[in-house]
Amino acid sequence: MSEINALDQLSIGHSGTVKSIIAEPTLHRRLLEMGLTRGVLCTVLRRAPLGDPITVRVRGYQLSLRADQARAIQVTCLAGGGVS
Amino acid sequence: MILAAPALDTVTIALAGNPNCGKTTLFNALTGLRQKVANYPGVTVERKTGRCRLADGRTAEIIDLPGTYSLIATSPDEQVAMEVLRGLRIDTALPQVVVAVVDASNLARNLYLTSHLLGLGRPVVVVLTMDDIAQGRGELIDPQMLSLRLGVPVVRYSGRTGEGLDGLRAVLAEAAIAPTPPLWSLAPAMAAEVDGLAAFVAGDAERRRNIALRLLTGDQASDLDGARQEAGEQLVLSRERLRGQGIEPMEAEIEARYVWIDSIVAACLTRGRPPTTSLSERVDAILVHKFWGLVLFAVIMGALFISLFVVADPIMGWIGDGFDWLGAAIGGTLAEGPLRSLITDGLIKGVGGVMVFVPQIALLFGFLALLEDSGYLARAAFLMDKLLASVGLHGRSFIPLLSSFACAIPGIMATRTIASPRERLATILVAPFMSCAARLPVYGLLIATFFVNWGPLGKAGILLSCYLLGIAAAAAVAFIATRLLGRHGQVTPFILEMPTYQVPQLGSFVRAVWFNTWAFLRRAGTIIVSITVLLWALAYYPQLPAERVEEVRAAALVAQPAAATEDERSLAVDQAESSARLAHSAAGVIGKTIEPVIAPLGFDWKMGVGLVGAFAAREVFVSTLGVVYGVGEVGDDDTSLQQAMVADRRSDGRPVWTTAVAISLLVWFVLAMQCMSTVAIVRRETGGWTWPIAQLVGMNVIAWIGSFAAYRIALLVWP
Repeated sequence: MSEINALDQLSIGHSGTVKSIIAEPTLHRRLLEMGLTRGVLCTVLRRAPLGDPITVRVRGYQLSLRADQARAIQVTCLAGGGVS
Repeated sequence: MILAAPALDTVTIALAGNPNCGKTTLFNALTGLRQKVANYPGVTVERKTGRCRLADGRTAEIIDLPGTYSLIATSPDEQVAMEVLRGLRIDTALPQVVVAVVDASNLARNLYLTSHLLGLGRPVVVVLTMDDIAQGRGELIDPQMLSLRLGVPVVRYSGRTGEGLDGLRAVLAEAAIAPTPPLWSLAPAMAAEVDGLAAFVAGDAERRRNIALRLLTGDQASDLDGARQEAGEQLVLSRERLRGQGIEPMEAEIEARYVWIDSIVAACLTRGRPPTTSLSERVDAILVHKFWGLVLFAVIMGALFISLFVVADPIMGWIGDGFDWLGAAIGGTLAEGPLRSLITDGLIKGVGGVMVFVPQIALLFGFLALLEDSGYLARAAFLMDKLLASVGLHGRSFIPLLSSFACAIPGIMATRTIASPRERLATILVAPFMSCAARLPVYGLLIATFFVNWGPLGKAGILLSCYLLGIAAAAAVAFIATRLLGRHGQVTPFILEMPTYQVPQLGSFVRAVWFNTWAFLRRAGTIIVSITVLLWALAYYPQLPAERVEEVRAAALVAQPAAATEDERSLAVDQAESSARLAHSAAGVIGKTIEPVIAPLGFDWKMGVGLVGAFAAREVFVSTLGVVYGVGEVGDDDTSLQQAMVADRRSDGRPVWTTAVAISLLVWFVLAMQCMSTVAIVRRETGGWTWPIAQLVGMNVIAWIGSFAAYRIALLVWP
């Protein structure tokens, strides 16, 4: 049984697949449009030096988002997907 | 299938694509220097158009649309792109051909917008850019296969070598047939609701289905207003039925598009080798590193800031001197009188006052182009976002605010890089709180005169306090303003793509410098010159009657010590005359009129005149005081003004200038909005008078309260 977590909880270098997004419609739509659809792999690449925002790799490109927004994205952690 | 308009002499072509997809490079290559940059009426979105000759000899009008991720807009930029593509703007003709610019190194995400463009009912040509980056990653894209799957021509274009441009001109000349809108498989329940809803909409089957789907997924574009009414409550019922089955229409549609996209990517893209960490990610390991990232950021921003002072400052000095010389040279050929004064002190000073900003604007926009094109600007926003988000601003607010320490004019122009309107407006509103270079002479004069015994460290401390006070005020105002501006505290999401690093191109650097400088001269310059002339008139009229001039001159002559030389006498008499003329003028009258308002701050009417003069540019305060005190033009090492200020007495014999007054005036200069060039640029950047006036009133009220508090507290310490 894989662990489900919000994307902002993932440690750097760890990955998960998008399970669902719970957000207000504008943010929800934009996250989907940026390619964060169900089943897509995201990898947390880094956190800004001040702790926020984070950068994730999704569909081969890099996307930065604030923890507030990353929290809306539920991911299924992949094997070894540690949580901070 | 819809046939495009028959071949006319010119054809309108829109370039659409995601931000950072290489669209502007393509636009520059197609149009060369035959470009026009203006604003879309009513919004502050740049409208870039240019001309190009197609392979068949026809001329094409090319529109470079703002970068957009989707046809459902979330910012003014995206709104304009959507409106042009759907033909909803009366100021822009409906494009006959749409060019979908697709970044090959980011194929899936870029094809999402293409999937929308294919449904517009217009001929579409796909241009594949950055293929070299994709190849470098071992990703090989088959353009023929992509063309087959999308049903439109696909042309490869290399921004580096220019290869593919001739092919594109040929393909564009032939583009006449709109593609069949792609069909992605929707869940059966959703497809059924689309069909059901289509029955309530007018038009042919294809159009009805398209509109029904857009309505169902919550597209708010105005071309659907009629259909939305026709569908009425059926739309609400459809959505409710789907949600009852656990289907969110908007999510289901976007996912269906991506399923379609994934199948295309799978068919067209072959991976030569397993994916490795990209070069950009390796560069980022240093550039946004927890420690080195901040160090490099400080170095880059320091270089930007210093260049605004060290490189631009001497050039600004030369421009200023050049216009002074010009004024004197032209003034020398004209007879003494209103016309000479209007030309030398009004017009030439006004034009000079505009030109003096050019070096800083050119430098800042050159710098911004380099940072933007290289991909670093997004990283800078990433690094600083937390800090700025704490007061409601955006990571992209950093460079505009930093630039405002040199001058708020280029700083406010640089806010165009902030996509979200709320954060952009808040940044514009607080930028003038940053102590600009023009405040330095005022700070310098007051600190040198009234804190003589403080030693170099103490003086530096006061100067630093001025800067810190401005930053604190900006933070507080930004914090409050973003909360007032945000509807119900809604935060604009910070979702920022980190583009692939690239070597900036000289062409785009030159263009950024040229177009921004020109836009400033043309649109803000006229307002600045007009207000300078108005301020000149205030200081020139009404004129002192001739008999009063004689009285003043006679009195000044009598007051001269017996030992004075002929030159000294004549200078003193002239200065006394200037002083009396200014006191008699409208500016002098205004100074006296506002005295009751500024008296609680410790200011007298002479400072009031200085403040009126300072509205032309803050540093003018010093020279205006020079004229008021009858000591003439004030040089850098000139202490005559300082002596005159210290010696000045009120009618009851107390000194006019005390430490408390100096502190109060320092606080005033930190907080007050008294720069008409800034007002002009805010009007231009916000598209109306509402915000510049709100800012002018708001900042001056804050300054009054701040000065009042500072004066009263200072009086307790230095009674």
